[in-house]
Order: sequence, then C-alpha cells, then structure tokens
Amino acid sequence: MSIAIRLEAVTLRHGREAVLDGLSLSVAAGEVVALVGASGSGKTSILRLVLGLMAPTGGTVLLGDRVASQDGRVLVAPEDRGVAVVFQDLALWPHLTVRGNLDFVLGSRGVARAARGERIGRILERVGLAGKLGRYPGELSGGERQRVAIARALVVDPGAVVLDEPLSSLDPGLRRDLLAMFRELLAERGTTAIYVSHDIREATALGCGVAVLDGGKIVQTGPLELLRRTPASQMVAALTAELG
Amino acid sequence: MLLGAGAVLVLASAAPLLALLGELAATGPEALRVLASSRPWMLLLRSLGLAAGTTLVAAMLGTPLGVVIARFALPLRRALWAVHAFPMFLPPFLLALGWFHLLGREGTLGSDATAAALFSPAGVVGVLAVTFAPIVTSLVAVGVLGVDASLEDAARVVASPWRVATRILVPAVRPALALAAIVVFALALSELGVPMFLRVDVFPAAVFARLGGVSYSPGEASALVLPLVPVAIALLALERRLVGPRAIAVGGVRRMSASPMPLGRARTPVAVAAWVVGALSAAPIAALLWSAAPALPRLGDWLGQAPLNSLLSSALAAVVIGVIGLVVGHASARGLGGARWLDGLAVLAFVTPAAALGVGLIAVWNRGTTAFVYGTTAILVVGFVARYAVVGVRVSAVSVSQTPLHLEEAAASSGAGFVRRLVRIVLPVNARGVGLAVLMALVFSLRDLETSVLFYPPGGEPMTVRIFTLEANGAPAVVAGLAVAHVALTAAVVAVGAVLLRRRA
Repeated sequence: MSIAIRLEAVTLRHGREAVLDGLSLSVAAGEVVALVGASGSGKTSILRLVLGLMAPTGGTVLLGDRVASQDGRVLVAPEDRGVAVVFQDLALWPHLTVRGNLDFVLGSRGVARAARGERIGRILERVGLAGKLGRYPGELSGGERQRVAIARALVVDPGAVVLDEPLSSLDPGLRRDLLAMFRELLAERGTTAIYVSHDIREATALGCGVAVLDGGKIVQTGPLELLRRTPASQMVAALTAELG
Repeated sequence: MLLGAGAVLVLASAAPLLALLGELAATGPEALRVLASSRPWMLLLRSLGLAAGTTLVAAMLGTPLGVVIARFALPLRRALWAVHAFPMFLPPFLLALGWFHLLGREGTLGSDATAAALFSPAGVVGVLAVTFAPIVTSLVAVGVLGVDASLEDAARVVASPWRVATRILVPAVRPALALAAIVVFALALSELGVPMFLRVDVFPAAVFARLGGVSYSPGEASALVLPLVPVAIALLALERRLVGPRAIAVGGVRRMSASPMPLGRARTPVAVAAWVVGALSAAPIAALLWSAAPALPRLGDWLGQAPLNSLLSSALAAVVIGVIGLVVGHASARGLGGARWLDGLAVLAFVTPAAALGVGLIAVWNRGTTAFVYGTTAILVVGFVARYAVVGVRVSAVSVSQTPLHLEEAAASSGAGFVRRLVRIVLPVNARGVGLAVLMALVFSLRDLETSVLFYPPGGEPMTVRIFTLEANGAPAVVAGLAVAHVALTAAVVAVGAVLLRRRA
C-alpha cells in the first residue's frame, strides 16, 4: 500500500553549514514528485532523510501517519520504513546475480522462499530482463543494470520509492525509454515516488509534479506548467526556460 | 627504473629460492636421506595443522570483530581497534612470554592446568591466533570501510543490520578475508619462537637446529626445506586465485563515523564480547609489564646495541622496500609489462616459510666475496627486503590504483618523462600510501625473528634475537624487561608513523 511522505520544518546541518533550512515537502500517497535543484542543493540529503540513513538536525519526517525521524533521532529503522531506493550508481551487489539481488530483498522482507521465484520472474519479465536471471551485474549493459535496479526496488511492492538521478549516466534515447517504463510501473502500482534530478526535462517525461529546491528550501511546487507560467524565483524561471 | 627495482627484488628474493636448488645439487643424495625418515614429515604435518588451526581461530575472532569495528555503533571502537591491533606489530614469542607470565605454573593466574594447556599444541594455536587475529580484523575492517557506501545503504533500506553485515558486507570483503587467511597461515607456518618457547616440536625448529643448534648440518637443512617449496607455491596459487589484483582498500575508505549501523538490543553483549577479545590482546603485554618491574632500573645493561641494530636494519630495509614498492606497485597498478611477475615473486618470498628463505639467503651470501654483506647489518637488510618487499609492493599498488590515471596522463602530455612523473606526481599524490608501506615494512622488520635468527651478524643481533636467545636461561624479570623495551620501541615507531601519516592526510 502506498504511503504519504511528509517533511516538516526539516533542518540539516553538517558542522556549521546548513544543508537544509526549515524545509517542508509533502508527497501524497500514490503521487510522483520530481525533486529538482542544482548540484549540491541538498536533494540527495532529502532522500537519505526519507530513507532513514540520516537523521534531521531538526524537524520531522513522517511516513504515512508514523513519525519516522525527529530532531536528531531516527525513530523508524531504514529496513522498517517500506521505502525502496534506486541510487545514482545503482548499488547492485556485485557478488550476487540478478536473481540474488532480488532474492535478497524479498528474503529480507520475509517473503517465503517458494513465492520468491515467481515474483522475481514476474518483475524481470516486466522490465524486459527475463533471460538474465543468472547474470552478475558486471555482465550486464548499462541499461540492463538500470532495469535490474528498478526491478529490485519494486519487487517488494514498496510503500514508496525514491530515486536519486538513476538515469544520469545514460544516453538520451535510453533515458527516455526507461523513464517511460518507470512511469508505467509506478502508475500500475500506484506507488508514491520522489524522483531526484537536476534536469527538469526528466520531470516532463515522467509527467509528474515538480518541487524545486534552492538554498536549502523548497521554493516552489506544482505542475510543470504552473512553474513555467508563474515562476516563484529567477532560479525557477531559469530552470523552466530550459524547456523552451 | 622498473628494471632496477626488479633487479633488486630478484636479487633479494629470487636468488635465495634458486640457491636452495643449487645447495641440494652440491650436497647430493646424502642430505636427502633426512627426508627418508618419518620424523620430518610428521613435523611438517603438525606445522601445517597448527597453521591451519591458527588461521581458523584467527578468522573466527577477527572477521566479526572487523565488521563490528568498521560499521557498527560500538562504544570506543577506535580505542578497541588500537588495543586489539597492537600485538600484530610484536614478535609473537613476546606474547607467548607474556602468556607464560600470566598462565605459567608460577604465573599471576597460573596453575598446573593452565601451564599444561599453554605448553601444548592447543596453547601454540591459542597464542598465535590471538596474536594474528588483528591481521584478520584489520584487513576485514579496512575492506568493509572500502565497500561502496551505497551498496550498504541499498541493503539497509530492506534488511536488518545483522543481515546487511552477513549477506552484503562479509561477501563483499571476501578478497580481504582471503588475503588475511593466507597471511596468517604463512606467518603461523613460519613461526619459530612461539612453538620453541612452548616446547612444541615444529618443522621450522628442525631446520633451525641444523643451522645453529646441536644438530648442525647445513646440507640437511637445505634438504629439509624442500617440502616447504610446494607449500609456498600452493599459497601463491591461492593468493593469485582468491586475491590477486583485486584492491583491498587502504585509501579512499569511508570514515568510520559515517552513520554506523545500530546494534539495538545486541549492543551490550556485542560490546562485552568485543572488549573481551581486546583484553585478550592486551593481557600478555600487561603481564610482561608487571613481571618486568624489578628489572627495569638495570635494563640498560642488558639492552646493549640491540635496539640500535634493530632500528638501523629495519629502517634501511623499510626505505628500500618503500622505493621498490613505489616502482613495482605503480607498475602493477597500471598493468605495466613484467610487474605481475615481480608482484608474484614478492608474494612467493613472503609465503615461503622463513626457514626456507633463510637457508637460501645463507647459500647466496655466505661466501668470501660477499662477506661485506653477510658479515654486517646489510645481511639483515637483505633478509628483510626479501621477505617483506610484498608489503611495499601491495600497499603502494592499492594506493596508486585508487588515484586517477588522468593525473599521470596530464603530466605525460605536458612533457614529463616516466621518472619525473613517478617522483613529482605519483609519489606526492600517493605519499600517504607509500608512507604506510614504509611504516608497515619497518614494523614487520622490527618484529622479525624467523629470518634474522638464522644469519644475524656477530655483534649485530637485533632485539628479537637478543630476547629469544636469553629467553631459555636468562632471569625471567630481565627477559620480561627486554620484552617491554621492545614493546615500547615498537609503540614509539607506530605512534610517530601514525602522526606523520595523519599529517599527510
């Protein structure tokens, strides 16, 4: 079941540097939001806060109606949040085959061994990798690795998924294909998703709402068309200008 | 330059191995008769068994501890690592001496039962395992810290910390674990001081007896080391298969403080277990300190030139190893021709039991024309370079492999030749890695007994040999005092080295 994600007045400091400064963001259950901002703007930090891999210095992270992190403490462990991830470098475990990567996730979520094979087969078929079960990540092409990472994130039907610029290393054609596939997969499942990118064109391809991050805060949220018509800042105007 | 470094490496490491074959040809079939009796084979089997047992126990202690120290929120884990790791910088027989002061019949905690357990094969395995476990711990911990953080994070969002450790981190550091096991096995198989002190007959002692003991017969010694050659080759083959060029991260590792995983309810029992292992490492050193107290005021009379001999020979060897390591390690990391062979030779010399390497070194250098080497501290330097060159080669190779090739390519395109690139680009960029290689070579040379006891020059005995020769019939407090002096010398070297390396960071 999809879960809503809310960050309320979140601050994050690394030493004296404020990475996030009273940031609030709300993603409804089943909604897909593209989080857009320049490099170093704190996009990845937001994902790590949602995943529970770090705690906010101040403020609250809510998953559904559960307070997951608050004021320097991680209250719900990463493995108990039901939030899947696709990292920028994909982080496929190199010592496990495609089947092993997916099986590890299902096993960790307590899926019975007998049921895993069928679920793995189904998701791999869906992403077009049915014949690659026994391959190691090192034996796959860049696009295939991307599909494995997406399959690994979705195989357990997570409550939400976060993606940290997963397509940045691919050529435009392949990126477009994968975005379309990802859009379909999320729509089929109604999964909540935060898609981080520095490229607002990817939000267009996903056809989702956009949240623009600047100076440690969300400066504007809404449909792409709204951002284009009434940009809240010069930065947003510059971003949407890329779309022509 | 690679040719020069390679020539030094071949002279130091390959010549003694080849000389062993020459010695056999010279002594003829008579010497081989020593292998016709069952005794040497029994001793060899026992030595292999003790080395295997030591490796197994050290891996069982070191693997979980390495993972916990590197990635779990354990109280005072840096201090624990330091306390646990320090004994690996010491000659193992010093720690056996410490255990004797603790568990021997007259020891602080001793009884007939503890003494019987200590002076047995199980005692040898126990002492060596506690001594060498830090090698496993440290290589596993460094390996875990070198694992890409996102691999761990991707697992943490679906699995418990325990499952992440056992299913993701430990498999990811298999090459580090394999390397640790090979190093521990090779060191345990070479070990002379601990089994001799604990009165357990082993193969290296039989070789040693024929070179300097009552059964003096150098020809037989050459024949005796023959069965060790296939063992060394098997270890080399294992190393090539399981570790080889895979990088065991020594640079580019994560900081330990980067969001360690919680231990939850297991925190207290895990902390207690980890600190018990840490205490096992510290206990023999504490016992030595306690026993040495009465002799400390007169220690200078017994030390003589030994500390200076140790420092001089080890420092010279470390510098040579540092240079060889930089040149061959860089070549190995960049896949230059011949580097793989030189790397293999360095590994072979290290995994060759010290008795075999020592007999070969004697065969090469104990002749009139090379008396200027064999009769002086230079022979210790040659011996240390032969045995420990691999430390410099591997540490430097890993460091270089983690720096972008573009740095050198940019220098090359700006007109810098190979030597200039090596000295002006590769060395400064990898100063920390090369410094670590030099420090490790220095410490390994300082702790060496097995090689140096076979050919130390007259009046040039290092600390380890001085303590080892006094161990049998010296006053216990004096021997403990000398051991404490060695511990202090090593601690000072490690501390100064660590400070210098930290400055470079």
